[in-house]
Amino acid sequence: MSAHSFSESDVTLPTGVVRVRSGGEGRPVVHLHSAAGPRHSPLVEMLADHHAVHQPYAPGFDGMPLHKGVSGMEALADVMAAFIRQTCGKCDLVGESFGGWLALWIAAKHPDLVGQLVLEAPAGLRADNKGGLPAEFEARQRALYAQPARAPVEKRSDAQQMANRKATLTYTQGLAFDDALAAHLPGIKARTLILMGTQDTIIPAETGHLLKGSIPQSHLTYIHGAAHALEFDQPKRVGALALDFLDRGESFLVREKTSAIS
Amino acid sequence: MKFSFFHLMPWTDLDETPSQWPAPNASFDAARGKALYDTYIDTMAYAEQCGFDAVAANEHHFSPYSMMNNCNLIGAALSQRTKSIKLAMLGNLLPLLNPIRVAEEYAMLDVMSGGRLIAGFVRGIPHEYIAYNVPPSESRARMKEALDLILKAWTEPEPFGWEGEFYQHRGISIWPKPMQKPHPRMLLSASNDESAEFVGQYDAMIGMTLIIDLDIAAKTIEVYRKTARAFGRETGPEDVLLGQQTCIAETDQEAREIMRAGLEYFHSKLMRPQQDAQRIVLQKTRFFSDEEQREFFVKRLVVHKSRTLEEQIDAGSVICGSPETVVKQIKRLRKHLGAGHININMKIGTIPDSAVLRGMELFRDRVLPHVADL
Repeated sequence: MSAHSFSESDVTLPTGVVRVRSGGEGRPVVHLHSAAGPRHSPLVEMLADHHAVHQPYAPGFDGMPLHKGVSGMEALADVMAAFIRQTCGKCDLVGESFGGWLALWIAAKHPDLVGQLVLEAPAGLRADNKGGLPAEFEARQRALYAQPARAPVEKRSDAQQMANRKATLTYTQGLAFDDALAAHLPGIKARTLILMGTQDTIIPAETGHLLKGSIPQSHLTYIHGAAHALEFDQPKRVGALALDFLDRGESFLVREKTSAIS
Repeated sequence: MKFSFFHLMPWTDLDETPSQWPAPNASFDAARGKALYDTYIDTMAYAEQCGFDAVAANEHHFSPYSMMNNCNLIGAALSQRTKSIKLAMLGNLLPLLNPIRVAEEYAMLDVMSGGRLIAGFVRGIPHEYIAYNVPPSESRARMKEALDLILKAWTEPEPFGWEGEFYQHRGISIWPKPMQKPHPRMLLSASNDESAEFVGQYDAMIGMTLIIDLDIAAKTIEVYRKTARAFGRETGPEDVLLGQQTCIAETDQEAREIMRAGLEYFHSKLMRPQQDAQRIVLQKTRFFSDEEQREFFVKRLVVHKSRTLEEQIDAGSVICGSPETVVKQIKRLRKHLGAGHININMKIGTIPDSAVLRGMELFRDRVLPHVADL
C-alpha cells in the first residue's frame, strides 16, 4: 500500500454541486462514505493502488449544501447516479454502512452504471429495529471499533458532526428498515460482496442473511475481529478481500496463492 | 449429578520406556492394536448400561499415551453401538485442526447420534503442537478464531465466507448441520484463570482436570462463572465438568493397589516421551501468555506426579476406593467446587480391563444411587 495523492474537485449536476476526492489509477471505483461523512481510510489507499478511486460527498455533508428537493435514499441514489455517469461511467461501488445502503439503491435503480458491489455492513435493512447506533459516546465507539487504536481521529467540529447527522436524517428519514429497497433486492444484477463484522452490534447478522438470500449473485463474508467500522478495524482483511473480489469477480472463490515454498 | 465414562485408549504393552518424543512406533503391533480397540470400544459402549450420562473420548498424537488421534472416529463407532448415552468428545484439539472439518465431523456425529453430541474444544497440551506443526504461540488466538468460525458454520442460515487472521474461506455451507439447536452443547477446557475467562465468554461448559488444589480450582471456576454472568449467562453445577482418574473396587485397599500399579505405568512409561517436547515448547514459545501461568502448568504436572495416591485423592484429582468411599469423595468435590459433572477415567495405564468393568458395575450399583440426585 502506497500513499496516494488525493485531490478534491467539484462536479456540477442538474440538482447541485457534488464534491469528490479522487486518487489512484485504473478501473474506476466509487467509494460511498458512511454517516460519519467522507474519511480517508487504509481501505481507500489500498483501492487506489489498483483503481481510480472517487469519494463523492453526499450533499449536506462536510459543509456541502443539500440539493434542493433531494431527500430520501432513492433520490440521493439518483444524484449519485448522475455523478457516476458524468465522472466515470460504469464503475464498481464500495459502500460503507450508510454508503452501502446508498450503493444498493444505485444498483437497484441504475444497473447500467454498476459493475460490482462491495457492501460493508450496509445500513437500512435492520429488521425489527435490531442493532442501531448507541446514543452514548463511549458505547457508540465500542460498537464502531473492536480495535480502538485503529479508530480515525475525528477532525470535524461538533457543529460539523451535527450537520452531518442532520444530512443523514434527510436521506434515511430515521428508517431502520427500508421496505422499498428490500423489494428491489432480488432484481439487483450486480455481483455483490457483503462484508459483516463478527463483532458488529449496530448492523445485525440478519441483514447479511437477508442480502445474501435476496441478491441473486452475492457472497456473504464475515470479517473476524471487526465491529461495525470494518475498513478501520480490519483494513488488511477487508482490503485484500475487496480487491480480490473486484479484480477476479466470481473467481475470487478459488484460492490463487499458497504459502508453499517453491 | 452427571457422570461421563472417559477412555484414553492407552497402549498397554510397552516394555521399554521411550526416552524421546515422538515415541518410536516400531514396536506397534497392529493385531494387538485391533484387539485393544475392540476391548476399549466394547467397554465404552457398556457405559450406557452402567448408568453413565455420557461416554467420553479425546485426542492425542504421536504417543502410546493414547491410541485416539481422532476421537470423532470413536464417537462415530459409539453412535452405532449406543442408543441414549451422550457422546462427549473432550475434545478436538482445535488450534491444530481445520475448523471447518471439525464443524462438519461434529455435525455428522450429532445427526448420526440423534443429537447426543457434547462438542468439546480444547487447546491441548503443549507437545501436540509439534506433532501438527502449529506455532504454540498462536494457540489462544487460533482457538478463539476457530471456535467463532465453527459457531458460524453451525448456525448460519446462508452460505458465508470468513476472513480472519488464521482462516480464510470464500464459501462455507456445511452439510449436514447439527441436530441440536442452535448448536450442540459445548465444552471448553481450562486449567487457569485466563482460560476460565475465555470459556466464560461462550455458552459452554468448563472442563477441568489434574486438579492440584481444591481452593485454586474453586477460584478458577469462580472466574468462569463471573465471566459468564458478565456475558448474560447464569451457570449451574451442570456446567462444570471435572476429570478424575478413578478406581472403584470392593475395598479401599484393593482399589488403591489396582490404581497404584496403573499410575506407575502411566507416569513412568506413557507420560515419559512427551516430557522433552513439552519442556521445549514451554521454554521456547509463548504457549502461555505469562510466566505465572507457565509455572503453574509445570508445577501442576510435577506436583501431580510426585504425590502419593493418598495425596492425590486429598487434592481432588483422583477418586479411589470402595463404593462407600467413592460416594464420600464425590460429595466432597460437589461441595467444594459446585461441580455437577464428573468425567471418570478408569483405564489408567495397565489397569486390567476386567477391573475397569467391575468398577463400572460397582459405580452403577453402589455409587450412582447415592450421588445421582446431588
